[in-house]
Amino acid sequence: MPEDLLPNQLLTARGLEAGYPGKQILFGVDLAVAPAEVVVLLGANGSGKSTALNTLSGFVRPWAGSIRFEGAEIAGRPPHRIFRRGIVQVSQARDLFPDLTVEDNLRLGAWARGGAVDALAEDVFRSFPRLAERRRQMVRLMSGGEQQMVAIGRALMGRPKLLLLDEPSGGLAPVFVKEIAAIIAELKRRAIAMVIVEQNIKLALSIADRFLILRDGRVTQRQDIRAGAADEQDIVRSIYL
Amino acid sequence: MLAVFLQLVVSGVATGMLYALVALSMTVGYRATTVVNFGHGDMVMAGAYAVFVFVGSGLPFAPALLLGLVVLFLFGLGTQRVLMRPIIAGPHLSLAMMALAIGYAVRGGARLEWGSEVTTLQRPYAQDAWMVGPVVFTTDDLVIATFVILLLLVLFLVFNVTPVGRLIRAVFQSQRGAALVGIDVHAFHGVMWGAGAALGAAGGVLLALIVPLSPDMGVWTLLRGFAAMTLGGFGSLHGAVIGGLILGVMEKLLGFYLSTVFIDITAYLITILVLLIRPSGLFGRQAAVRV
Repeated sequence: MPEDLLPNQLLTARGLEAGYPGKQILFGVDLAVAPAEVVVLLGANGSGKSTALNTLSGFVRPWAGSIRFEGAEIAGRPPHRIFRRGIVQVSQARDLFPDLTVEDNLRLGAWARGGAVDALAEDVFRSFPRLAERRRQMVRLMSGGEQQMVAIGRALMGRPKLLLLDEPSGGLAPVFVKEIAAIIAELKRRAIAMVIVEQNIKLALSIADRFLILRDGRVTQRQDIRAGAADEQDIVRSIYL
Repeated sequence: MLAVFLQLVVSGVATGMLYALVALSMTVGYRATTVVNFGHGDMVMAGAYAVFVFVGSGLPFAPALLLGLVVLFLFGLGTQRVLMRPIIAGPHLSLAMMALAIGYAVRGGARLEWGSEVTTLQRPYAQDAWMVGPVVFTTDDLVIATFVILLLLVLFLVFNVTPVGRLIRAVFQSQRGAALVGIDVHAFHGVMWGAGAALGAAGGVLLALIVPLSPDMGVWTLLRGFAAMTLGGFGSLHGAVIGGLILGVMEKLLGFYLSTVFIDITAYLITILVLLIRPSGLFGRQAAVRV
């Protein structure tokens, strides 16, 4: 039995099939995440990584399969319901509110899940000092790296039990990639479970507990790397060759 | 001469207030859903008739008005839910056509019942008039102005000061972002569509104070609301208000000094000129309106 189908998982997805009208993208994907675990999805463009993530968060309705989160079936539920259970996504396009301030963006992140909003916001500002300096600034006027910080900060405001990160380092300057990596490592120390889609293999392997390789909508390889580092070259070969 | 000019401005502002309210109610729906409700004029008409019916059934004016607004809110919410939501992922044009079709259906229904008669909504107050200097003010002017200004104040507070307003602006700026923070975007659209219909209905009731009721009054109304929105800048709340006021005053001035024809065509002219010269309007940032 693959390790990700064991009981006591936070999330267990089985046999996920999904796609868009006329084009199937996922062909029976199994995926599980244990509490506090970081799972990385690797794969070439078009392999179905983002679709898999969007299926977990409800933006894509699965055609078949099941997703159990803390014992409840959530496959096919709308995104706002899934969010309220504690699965929070940082999307690839970030989807921030461009004409609201940093602080308003963050506060809206806590709107549906409640909690001590002020304390949560201060906590985010401690993790992202750069945002604290710009809390009254419109998000539209910020750099890509800063916007990514707002996006992650907004997700944290929702007190995620499971955080889904779609290409967190995508399109960022190297200095920001480093900063984002440090932030994700910090979230891992705080025992927040994560599923991360990431093109930057070095970054991905530095934070992953396990990785899955997707190819044409199927999982072709899964490996636990807590025991020992994986060979980067091997992985690149199994993704692209 | 000055007296005539002032009088024209005063009555232009009074009707402009109505246009402002209609444009504002369209803006509320548009901001929430990014769809222009081309059936909105018929919501305005339906609101006026709803209150007319409730008053006719013996209700005092205030409860009849309240009930009319509630009915139109529910109607807007219901049509959005049943007729718009299933096609919400489709092209914008289908949504605009659906809104138009809903409006036509409402108008058709009203024609069945009131197509051949001219009806009026009885004012719940006595009409009076005062001279202030050389200018005449009527009770209608004052009632309309007071009501619209109060509504504007409430709306501006809701949009700019309350958490609900922040939520509305957030959904307008990014629907996907709103869903990412757990907002039920579909339900939100329904509520805003209903709120737009109810506000439009309030405009319809005020309009019925100064013009007779007719099932076709929506066409006239939609055109002016649309022109006011275009002039002010699509999606801008204060733009809708200022656009409405300018349109009201221009109609009267052009109608008097050039030709009465302008009373009917100023709205078209403004729409055309603004789209040609400054598509973003006075206060809009987004230039293009997606239909």
